[in-house]
Amino acid sequence: MTATKEYIGNIWDALKSTVVGMRITGKYLLKKPITVQYPDERLPIPDRYRGIHYLEQEKCIDCLACARACPIDCIEMDAIRHGKELEWVSFTLDYQKCMFCELCVYPCPKDCIHMGTEFALVTTDRSELNFDLLSYKGMAREAKIRMREADAKKAAKEAAKKAAADEKTAEADAPSATDGPDEARADSDGEGAG
Amino acid sequence: MQSTEPTQSSGNAILTLLEPLAPEWVPGWLVGLTAIGVSVGIVTGMIALIAMFSVWLERKVSAHIQCRYGPMYPGGWHGWAVVLADGLKLIMKEDMVPKGADRVLFVLAPALVLASIFGAMAAFPFAPGFYFARMDLGIFMILAITSTTTIGVVMAGWASNSKWSLFGAMREAAQVVAYEIPLGISLMVPLMTLGTFSLLEASEAQAGGFGIFRWAIFQNPVCIPAFIIFWIAALAETKRAPFDLPEAESELVAGFMTEYSGIRWSFFFMEEYAAMFLMSVVAAVFFFGGFESPATWILRANGVEGGIVFGLVCAVTIVLKAFFGVFLMMWLRWTLPRVRIDQVMTMGYKYLTPLALLLVLLAGVWQTVAVAIEN
Repeated sequence: MTATKEYIGNIWDALKSTVVGMRITGKYLLKKPITVQYPDERLPIPDRYRGIHYLEQEKCIDCLACARACPIDCIEMDAIRHGKELEWVSFTLDYQKCMFCELCVYPCPKDCIHMGTEFALVTTDRSELNFDLLSYKGMAREAKIRMREADAKKAAKEAAKKAAADEKTAEADAPSATDGPDEARADSDGEGAG
Repeated sequence: MQSTEPTQSSGNAILTLLEPLAPEWVPGWLVGLTAIGVSVGIVTGMIALIAMFSVWLERKVSAHIQCRYGPMYPGGWHGWAVVLADGLKLIMKEDMVPKGADRVLFVLAPALVLASIFGAMAAFPFAPGFYFARMDLGIFMILAITSTTTIGVVMAGWASNSKWSLFGAMREAAQVVAYEIPLGISLMVPLMTLGTFSLLEASEAQAGGFGIFRWAIFQNPVCIPAFIIFWIAALAETKRAPFDLPEAESELVAGFMTEYSGIRWSFFFMEEYAAMFLMSVVAAVFFFGGFESPATWILRANGVEGGIVFGLVCAVTIVLKAFFGVFLMMWLRWTLPRVRIDQVMTMGYKYLTPLALLLVLLAGVWQTVAVAIEN
């Protein structure tokens, strides 16, 4: 009797579990998919996500603090100084090495290197993973203008000085005793130049 | 393929079409050969189309059941062209025969597997006037020819000279032997109800009642459990999950297909989907009214019977019903886990076979009583 009961019970169980299972899968079949069509749509990325770096190049002073802080030495930068202004040569970050630890971000005195939200690092060649973070090479337009202005100022100053010195030398056929040592040197410079 | 008693001029719709068109000087055998060629072309294209659509459907159904999208990009609309890309990839792949394999059998096996479904497909009537082989024993022919798939599968498993393949082939053999019996016996119930072995006549026997209420499952309620048994056995026959033990991806790599690649592998694949379609057609014809639907009922009520419109409606009806069956198989596949081989055997021999026999008895009693009441 128990065997018969078990036999019928098995049939009932099989049918019931199939129906229950199909109801669940059927429900999911009609639901909207929860996945996202990745390259076209993207899920929102949190602000503090540690992705590929971005650099505020105008602020950067080429102090190498980030490169020094990097535990695996993947940051390299090179810039030529022109007085206060920088002529950028390179600022590379090797993403073959980078472990996205964010340690380069904290020591920055100008707060100019940040970690972005971009994470796709798909390339066809490994060498392409050595990213250049510079948005421009050489000098910025503003920097050039500033430098030109500074140069112009300097030149004007020097010209003024020179003019003054020339005047002085012109007048200095008989130098007065009140002249300071500076002017005396300028005199001598002017004389040397002349 | 021989019709026992052709009721029309010939057993092939193409031949019937071509015969009056052929000029006097063309010999009869040439017309026959042309008809055969056209029929073969149509069946080949049909199998390819069914396999392609089913692969796409399978991908989409499985994806949506798992809350994914599935292919979306190739071809634009919901990735419809992904199957074309797949096909191109399979054709271009290297055709390998492993070292130590029995070369002749290895090459022959996929052809035999495809040939079995190819032969069975010939018995599938698109519409009452459009068929490749009009057979009064159509269902016998389908069941007989589809079971020869097993020979191809066992051949593939043996010839591959790989333990995974052999395991898969052995499982297939055991499974098919166990499930052929309930498959055939459960079909006896609608056959008794409708009183015919021919697919076309079975469909005609279900005409009327708004195109729905004369279906075999409504004519004889014993057909409902019989359909469940038939469906389980059909799943096992077509090697679909939960009975995909011959393939058993997670345990046997790919079972009997492990050593195959490229176009040969795709032959097995095409056979699987075409067999699913054919089993769904059999279920549609013998349980769910065949060509009969409300649309055909309306046409019949307006006196349209025969002709291109009626044929088209019939073809659309049967193809839709069949693809619903294919969808049901996919739904089941992505719902149920694979059963163990001993569970498969238990289910086949201890449950389905005796129950199918019992249902045949019940169907006989029902028919007798129904006939007695009618008289």
